[in-house]
Amino acid sequence: MPDTADQRAAAGRTFAVLAGLLVIGAILFLAFNVSREIRLLGSANSDNVQWSLAQTEVEFLEYRRHLDADPVNLSALRRNFDVFYSRMDTISQASVFETTRADVGFSDTLRDIQLFLTASVPIIDADDADLRLLLPELAALADGIRPSVRDLATAGLDIFARESDVRREAVARTMSQLAFALSLLIGTLGLAIFYLYRLIAIVSRRETQQKQTAVRLNTVIGTSLDGVIVSDARGRIIEFSPAAEVIFGHSRHDVIGRDIGQVIVPPHLRGAHDAGMERMRTTGEKHVVGKGRLKLEAQRANGELFPVELAIQSATTDTGEIYIAFLRDISARVAAEAELVAARDRALAGEKLKTEFLATMSHEIRTPLNGILGNMDLLHNTTLTPDQARYLRHMETSGRLLLTHVSDVLDITRYDAGKLNIQRVAMNLGDLVQDIIDSQSSMAAQNGTALDWGWDGPPQVWVESDPDRLQHVLMNLVGNAVKFTRQGKVSLTVSVRADGQGDRLRVEIADTGPGLAADLKDRVFDDFVTGNTAYDRDVGGTGLGLAIAKRFVTALDGQIGVNSEPGQGCTFWIDIPIKRVTRHADAVETVRSSGKIAPLDILVVEDNEINRIVVRDMLQAAGHRVTEAHDGQQGMIKAQSHAYDLILMDISMPVMDGRTATRLIRAGQGASANTRILALTANVLQDERAAFLEDGMDGILTKPLTQAALHAALAKEDRAQTAPRAFDVIDSQHNRETRDVLGVDTYDMMRSRFDADMGALIAELTDGAGDPAAMAAAAHKGAGSAAVFGAVALRETLKQIETAAKSGDTDALPGLIAALPDLHRDTIAALA
Amino acid sequence: MIKFLRTIAGASAILILSATPLLAQDIPAPQGDVLLTITGNIQMTNVDDQLQLDRDALMALDATTFETSTIWTEGVHSFQGVSLATLMEALGVTEGTIIATAINDYAVEIPVSDAVEGGGMVAYLMDDAEMRVRDKGPLWVVYPYDSDPAYRTEVIYSRSIWQLDRLEAVN
Repeated sequence: MPDTADQRAAAGRTFAVLAGLLVIGAILFLAFNVSREIRLLGSANSDNVQWSLAQTEVEFLEYRRHLDADPVNLSALRRNFDVFYSRMDTISQASVFETTRADVGFSDTLRDIQLFLTASVPIIDADDADLRLLLPELAALADGIRPSVRDLATAGLDIFARESDVRREAVARTMSQLAFALSLLIGTLGLAIFYLYRLIAIVSRRETQQKQTAVRLNTVIGTSLDGVIVSDARGRIIEFSPAAEVIFGHSRHDVIGRDIGQVIVPPHLRGAHDAGMERMRTTGEKHVVGKGRLKLEAQRANGELFPVELAIQSATTDTGEIYIAFLRDISARVAAEAELVAARDRALAGEKLKTEFLATMSHEIRTPLNGILGNMDLLHNTTLTPDQARYLRHMETSGRLLLTHVSDVLDITRYDAGKLNIQRVAMNLGDLVQDIIDSQSSMAAQNGTALDWGWDGPPQVWVESDPDRLQHVLMNLVGNAVKFTRQGKVSLTVSVRADGQGDRLRVEIADTGPGLAADLKDRVFDDFVTGNTAYDRDVGGTGLGLAIAKRFVTALDGQIGVNSEPGQGCTFWIDIPIKRVTRHADAVETVRSSGKIAPLDILVVEDNEINRIVVRDMLQAAGHRVTEAHDGQQGMIKAQSHAYDLILMDISMPVMDGRTATRLIRAGQGASANTRILALTANVLQDERAAFLEDGMDGILTKPLTQAALHAALAKEDRAQTAPRAFDVIDSQHNRETRDVLGVDTYDMMRSRFDADMGALIAELTDGAGDPAAMAAAAHKGAGSAAVFGAVALRETLKQIETAAKSGDTDALPGLIAALPDLHRDTIAALA
Repeated sequence: MIKFLRTIAGASAILILSATPLLAQDIPAPQGDVLLTITGNIQMTNVDDQLQLDRDALMALDATTFETSTIWTEGVHSFQGVSLATLMEALGVTEGTIIATAINDYAVEIPVSDAVEGGGMVAYLMDDAEMRVRDKGPLWVVYPYDSDPAYRTEVIYSRSIWQLDRLEAVN
């Protein structure tokens, strides 16, 4: 609005100036006209022309009268002739008669009279005697010209009448113009008056508006919930709003004119406040003014400190710069925020507690389950009636379902606790899928469902990804498809394709089952979502399987989804980024549960009798020789005296736990000091796994133990036993496990320490100053550390040094020790 | 300037007044044809109560010349004569009106206030020649029309009487 008013005012000014110029112009024009008229009237270059013409006839008649006089007075006659002559001479020459002379008739007449004069002059100028004789002739001449003289007078009258008309018209025209100009002038003045009236109206309206604005502003400030305080440049309060009165407990009357710093700034901030005011006064530099909302502490009249949120802005007025502060008492908000933070902390603590509770519970549930399932497994090896066998199958199904549920809960807990470590290793995709298909094929066959898989596009067998997670996800999806499909078909399609960012693996599992209802499709990946209740009872499920799959896929930076129409089956798919690799030696091969294993000498350390018997029977069934120990101490003693091929070590045991026993076996000089030790535990939390490996264990078998898992572990052992003695620098799977369980940070730290320890060890051995026993001990310790990292070559060499030192085979030592620096270097490089 | 001149004129007038008897003797009775007869309330006479001036007497007075055009003649002409101021001084006339009359008895009134330096004169020569009656002579009251727009008015034109032969000073 002010813009428009300004524009209007500017237009008005322009108009006023133009109108003023117009008025001045009109006045000048009029003044010029009037002065011209005055000049025309004043400098009449006309004399009394008409009188002159009339006088011509008078003078002529006077001359003529003297001709008739008796006796004729010659002197008077001559004088009268001269007077007439002079008159005619004037008319012929005078500029005032110029226009008159231009008239043809007039000039002709004038010429006639001049001819008369010319004819008369010689007679008049003759001597008196001659003149008297010629008087009749003069009279005749005079009579002859008399009509002409008369014509001259009357012609003059006509001309002057005409001229007079012209002149009158000119005057009339000038007067008209004058009138017009006057009208214009009056009109302009009228407009100017109107404009002035408008200006006055606008000014008065603006005044009213300003008053209203001021009133409104005062009302706004007065009713604002934020306190408004205005101070001058020196910090003295010049306005203190009602809200400010309420907030600060000061009355406006008391604080007006006082220093704002003394009134509302708490003592500990006054120094900074005064310095800030001083800085603004001297340098104009503003740190707080115009910088938006700030949180500060303020002081009430009763001395209470409280948090305020404030915004300060400056304005320049006639009396100098002023500062306007809007302040809000935020003590309630700050309190509420603090409460929220406390509530959140409590919630987080509760969440942590829940996670720990779930982990513990799953552990506690899995231990007895281990016993139940193990015993049922063994029960198959006894003679059963057909009914018993059927009941056993049912029990086993229920038991495994229960185990799956517990595992699911544990997986969720693990993921939500942020303990899910993702690895990227080379793996055989084809084998992984084939294993899953194999493991599900009998179930599919029971349901009368065909199960197959194939490549879409060129096969890409070797890829880099996390085989464990991938296996879990695919197992879940294929298991679901098989579970829900009766008398149908389940097809798994694998494709590896490149997109803009890299390679992506897409696996689709299509079934011809009942499909998903539309509402279910949207939340099928949510926690605890199950389908048809009656049907679920038939097939079972916690509703966590897909939720876990989704968490895993998300952890792999991939996507999971489903396309489905009810009654048309459904297609689950996953799409995750992977890396194509070419096959290499260290690659993990999915363990195939086939092939025969050479009989081994195995020590089982387990306090729980049931579990111990289960394990023993399983191993014996596979043809192995089993020795039992009831606690860690027994196990350690047995290991001391006998060299076993493998030790299975429970963790929680009375007398001595498995970790202590393991450490002692590794540290001692017993026959089984270097034997492979596998932890046997239901406790699967990651940080504990790391601790086991640090104790010197080589791997972990999760309870409840199955024949398949045991077989797989033994097969690995068998391979290691039968491998040629040219050792790999690194057992990469072992190393990967270590890294997995330790976490990257801890792993890096331990690797550095290992590097340093090994350097020191090599220096000690190279020095060769120590006695053989000390060398053996040092080499043994080093071998233990190397074992943790899966540094196979280093470990084996150190073990050989230890053996050589112990047996006094000093000849072999230098060669072995000389190989250490290179091995050390290669190992550290491989570990990085 | 004009005021200054007037002061001088006034002072001169007083001087002249005191010397009137002397001046009267200086303008003798006319020997030639009388060109101008002055009557009325005048301080100087030579024949009875009149002052009769012939050409010599006129030319004996301080002469004034100027050039000007007139509305009655063609081109610019030079005029020589006795300025009205000089004449009024000589006559001792300081106020009132002069009635000027021509040969044919045409008469006009000329206020004495016209008698100022640089003002009108009674001309007796035009272009250094005597003027005949046929040429508006022998005497012609002319004003320096070209010098001042104030002299180009109807009133001044009417006072520019030619074929002048009488003057009468009246109050």
